[in-house]
Amino acid sequence: MAVTSATTRASSKDGLIRKISSASTGFWFMSPSIILVVLFFFIPSVIIIGLSMTNLSTATGFRNYEWIGLENYQKIFTHPDTIPTALRTIFYVAATLAFFNVGLALVIALLTTHVPRRAGFIFRAIWLLPRITPSVIYLMMWKFTAAASPYGILNRYFPFLGGQNLIPDAPWVFVLLTNGFVGASFGMIIFASAIESIPKDYMNASLVDGCNAWQRIRYVILPALRWPLLFVTTYQTLSLLTSFEQIFILTDGQFGTEVWALWSYHRALSNYWGNFQWGFGAALAVVLVIIGALAAIVYMRFFRFNELVQEPGIDVL
Amino acid sequence: MPAKVLRILVLIAIVVAAAGCGSPTAEVQEQTQPTQVEQASTSPVTLQVWAEANAVEHWRADGPAEAAKNVTDFKLTVEPLRDEAGWADYKKKFTLAADAGEAPDVVLSGHEDVSVWANAGYVVDFSTCRDKYPEFDDVIESLWTSVTWNGKIWGVPQDTEARPMFYNKTKLKELGWSDEEIAALPEKIKTGEFTLDDMIATAKEAVEKGVVQPGYGYWHRPTKGGDYLQYYAAYGGRLYDPEQDKLIVTRSAVVNWYAFQRKIVTEGITPENYIGTEFSIWHDTVSHGNVLFWNGGVWQWADWAANYVKDEGGQDYLFSFAGYALQPSGISGKPGVTLSHPLVYMITSEEASGDKDQDAACSLLAKTTTSEVNTKHAVESTHLGILTTQADDPNYSNDRLLSETLYMLDYNFYQPNHTMYGPYYDILFDNLVKAENGELTPEEAADAAIQLLQTELGDVLIVE
Repeated sequence: MAVTSATTRASSKDGLIRKISSASTGFWFMSPSIILVVLFFFIPSVIIIGLSMTNLSTATGFRNYEWIGLENYQKIFTHPDTIPTALRTIFYVAATLAFFNVGLALVIALLTTHVPRRAGFIFRAIWLLPRITPSVIYLMMWKFTAAASPYGILNRYFPFLGGQNLIPDAPWVFVLLTNGFVGASFGMIIFASAIESIPKDYMNASLVDGCNAWQRIRYVILPALRWPLLFVTTYQTLSLLTSFEQIFILTDGQFGTEVWALWSYHRALSNYWGNFQWGFGAALAVVLVIIGALAAIVYMRFFRFNELVQEPGIDVL
Repeated sequence: MPAKVLRILVLIAIVVAAAGCGSPTAEVQEQTQPTQVEQASTSPVTLQVWAEANAVEHWRADGPAEAAKNVTDFKLTVEPLRDEAGWADYKKKFTLAADAGEAPDVVLSGHEDVSVWANAGYVVDFSTCRDKYPEFDDVIESLWTSVTWNGKIWGVPQDTEARPMFYNKTKLKELGWSDEEIAALPEKIKTGEFTLDDMIATAKEAVEKGVVQPGYGYWHRPTKGGDYLQYYAAYGGRLYDPEQDKLIVTRSAVVNWYAFQRKIVTEGITPENYIGTEFSIWHDTVSHGNVLFWNGGVWQWADWAANYVKDEGGQDYLFSFAGYALQPSGISGKPGVTLSHPLVYMITSEEASGDKDQDAACSLLAKTTTSEVNTKHAVESTHLGILTTQADDPNYSNDRLLSETLYMLDYNFYQPNHTMYGPYYDILFDNLVKAENGELTPEEAADAAIQLLQTELGDVLIVE
């Protein structure tokens, strides 16, 4: 009996040490990420929260500002632009994600992994061009594509378009296209890599079982892409929420394309005649940080992130 | 951990942030005035000068470097920096540099920055400097208004300009105007006999008769800028009450202004979706005489001559077809107007630059504010002069454009020096775009603008 008890105690102690050791190892592996997150997300977030409670602006400088509590947030909640800008942002993020950053990326990945490998590689390389082109040049190309006659390419070859500058006619089409062509390449690479790494046995088995192409995609490929889908969707959502440079260069937020991040940028850093309102801009940014964090949590629950990162069942055996 | 550790971390970060930002004070910092003239004058001083300027405006930065040779009370070396990043980035760079104590000793910017940068303590009161050197007495008196804020002077004008309505004399002649009628147009605009409505009617006739292509009757500036305020002023809009230090928005003027912006599109003299057109397209089109009337600035003349119509003959080519007048009034019998936007040199504070060389900077600006230096900039970049004696300087008076547009300064107005002018203008412009594109009616756009102005500006706004 005593022997059994001692054995149990020893076993329990060993388990504890192993758990601590395991946790400690995990901590050391994670420490670079933790340091980066604390330095470049946590501390800046806290600073921005602090700034958002001030009236800091160019006119006050860093010497004459005052703490104003939640005044900037009250202003946001009563501002006539708040709801329209929020709705525009949701539309921009959802549409870019659905049609391009996830949707088109998945289509390209599927297509390029079902053609001869070299052709697929070349096709994917072409899709990377918008991403590696400097934003200003990339957007200038778009602007001159849509420009009024006789300067615009579209108006030159399609006179029925009317000859006028086409961007104000369909601002969201151009905003989504310009962002989507860049954004799709990211998901394309992730998805293509993931598809390439699915064991050939699964593919062959599905063929033997008589799957058609759609069934193979639906029941073999897509389930294997759950983690890449979570990653791309989450990452691109957060990225789109805070991205504005292409809209900034293309329309500067005119024609109803001012999204939340651009609103924050305009108020904090790009007022035409000066007096940047850092305090109010920071409050707008904080709202974005909160929405981003909530979106990340929702995604992780929706995609059952915990199940994805569980230790493999093989270890239990 | 969690909650307690988290609370401690948040607290630490707030303390770090607050320490980094410095302590707030309710009062504006006392401006530093230089006091060690004798000591400074004996040792060499290096001054940094920042100026936003394109290549033809290089004297904005090089002028002070040239003027340094004439400074006798200090041993000066000037490091000029000409920046072409664009105004928004330039101003951002300066404000961040000033907060970091890394600003230049002298900064050139628009006069509207006077109130903002003075309030922040980035620049020093210029009044003492102005009284110290006789060169400043030569500055055209009315220009000092543009650098005045809170009863003090905060800089010295470097250049100014007029923003005329240009017209194509050749096209007017094709339309049936006689030489005498064309020559009389500037005077008719000056007296309010030719209004914005007349301009629209003439341009529409030109389109209908095929003298110009549809949409090429009238082109205003294609992007954001102060020029649009000329239409607001043309309909009697007021901007600023200096006694109360409050911005003003005149609803009836905004409605008429926005209605004008829409009408030029619906009448077919300005293209649909015009705002947002690339500026290079605009320059190329107007400088080649493809538009009947267009609103621009005198400084663009040099740009067109050097960069757009050089092969056709530069300024001679432009003079062959282009005329210039004030911006017509919107109200019959009321004189035309023009907006002037003086750029001004400001001396930065010790806190902003980390230097105590404000006296030396003052001396440098005195020698920069001379006809010898300023006329080089005025003539090369076709900006109007700032000195009374420049009209007698042959180098200036022999310049046809400058001498023929100088009278416009008698009809000019400035944008207000108010710390909230930036947000004020952005709101008016954003709704102007909606009105011109037909997204909102002029009344709806005006009301939306006023509602936003009241939200953003609160009690510093007067609605009339």
